[in-house]
Amino acid sequence: MSALDRLPSGRGDTALLAGIACLLVGGLFALTPLRAELPSALYVFVEVGITFVIYGMLVLGLDLQYGHTGLVNFGHVVFFAVGAYATAMLAAQDTFSGIGLGYPWPLALLVGVIAAALLGVAVSATSIRLRDDFLAIVTLATAEIFHSIFVNFEGIFGGNVGILGVPRPLAAIVGDADTRMLATLLVLGGFTLITLAAVTRLTDAPYGRVLRAIRADELVTRSVGKSTITYKTQAFVYGAALAGLAGGLFALYNGAVAPGFFTIQVTVTVWIGMLLGGAANHRAVLAGLAIIMGLRLVSRFGLSVTPVSGDVFAAFRLLVVGLILVAVIRFRPAGIWGDPQELGVDQ
Amino acid sequence: MSLLSADGLVKDFGGLRAIDGLSVSIDEGELVGVMGPNGAGKSTFFNCVSGVIPPDEGTVALNGTDVTGDPPESLAHRGLVRTFQDTRELETMTVRDNVRLAAPDQSGERTLPALLRTDGMRREEAAVRERADELIETFELDHLADEYSSNLSGGQRKLLELARTLMLDPDVLMLDEPFAGVNPTLTREIADRIRDLNADGMTVVIIEHELETLTELVDRLVVLQQGRLLVEGDPETVLEDERVIEAYLGGDAE
Repeated sequence: MSALDRLPSGRGDTALLAGIACLLVGGLFALTPLRAELPSALYVFVEVGITFVIYGMLVLGLDLQYGHTGLVNFGHVVFFAVGAYATAMLAAQDTFSGIGLGYPWPLALLVGVIAAALLGVAVSATSIRLRDDFLAIVTLATAEIFHSIFVNFEGIFGGNVGILGVPRPLAAIVGDADTRMLATLLVLGGFTLITLAAVTRLTDAPYGRVLRAIRADELVTRSVGKSTITYKTQAFVYGAALAGLAGGLFALYNGAVAPGFFTIQVTVTVWIGMLLGGAANHRAVLAGLAIIMGLRLVSRFGLSVTPVSGDVFAAFRLLVVGLILVAVIRFRPAGIWGDPQELGVDQ
Repeated sequence: MSLLSADGLVKDFGGLRAIDGLSVSIDEGELVGVMGPNGAGKSTFFNCVSGVIPPDEGTVALNGTDVTGDPPESLAHRGLVRTFQDTRELETMTVRDNVRLAAPDQSGERTLPALLRTDGMRREEAAVRERADELIETFELDHLADEYSSNLSGGQRKLLELARTLMLDPDVLMLDEPFAGVNPTLTREIADRIRDLNADGMTVVIIEHELETLTELVDRLVVLQQGRLLVEGDPETVLEDERVIEAYLGGDAE
């Protein structure tokens, strides 16, 4: 059953409409005197929710690369970081260290996306013709190289402090914290939903069929006349650009970027979310990511009610995450909602 | 004028010369069989001609154009399509998607029309679906259209591979052992299909070990041995040739 068989006859799709609605409601909070009050218990949910929707763009891009096309990218965080740094450096007004050029933020965001996409082009130009594992090594290495560049070139990237003084467009309009948090969640969530709609359209179309064919057997795909290098490069660059967008939005929400936000931990979280939910299924990878990030939330509450110390509790949390992963890989190797036959793990 | 010609092809793998100055010429509308003992260079010949591996020396011309070393995707656009000896299905895709993938020049395979879900894309896809379903039905795979191709039997995979290549409506069809592992009934069916396609004007080149089916089917046989052309001609003459008998029944007999 191919997705095109069940396309609705109109052009509407739920994720797109929901995304636009989120942007509108978020904008309504920002631009009108309308104010929201968050019960303090919900505050932490909104905070984690904001991180979730930002990481959501990362996981959707990664899934386009790995789940649909079979490209192994172990350095996804580098595209997130490059988007964030480029946006931050272009927009920052008076940063404590490093470069801040003070350009308008929409321009900075655009440059952030382009910078991440260009890095994607560079990485694919060197490695995408090679075997899969080379791409994995090159992406991992690229992420490490950039991480140490950010840390060591203090005059440019601000070292461990990073770039401060990045404008926060929503914070500039919305004074009170509660409304600001909610508006941020809605606006960023809107971006994620629109991203979901875009990647869904791509993969439901014959375009996605070519990507999945490359994942299945590249030589066969070439011998039926598809230029697989072009498709692989595109998929990789689109994933990189989405990560750049996530990075740029993160910088504009957070008001600062620093190497500590862009560790390998980000790549690992996004990969685990994707594999846990089930690769090659957009909603599943988002749900998988939600589970992993939800566990953090649970553990925050858990800490306050258990008699153990923070260290013990953190170790225990890792143990639980590990056990869940082992269980999923043992009993559902294609992920919780993944299709074993589509992912070729049932043979 | 020959439609497909290979001239002086040489391919080395390390110290082994797989084909050695091989020249074969195929006319438009011909149905040609390629045979030879194991290691004679049949598959290497196919790989060099279809762009899977570039030859070390020699040229390949298709329709008078030099296509030496051109990649498979560009040869497919020029009308030359091949199958593989060990059937290569896109196992993680359904039978229907395997066939539909091969439809050439789909606007929905480009980013923008896919993102915008253009009407053109929908119309094209509906036509592709119809054509694919026709082919699937012709090969009696319609009851399996929504199955993943990993669930198909060996013979069904051969049929699916053939259906997929026909989606491209090629001028030259190169089949690498289309009857291997296929039961006699299905073999006859596949042979009939090939004969029909050839009667409709398609040029077909077949590598096959199943000599009986092959000699019944083809107009001309090309026999390779140790990377060189041993004999070529009409099947009766070739099979009675002493060099062929020796190649098959002599030291290199299978």
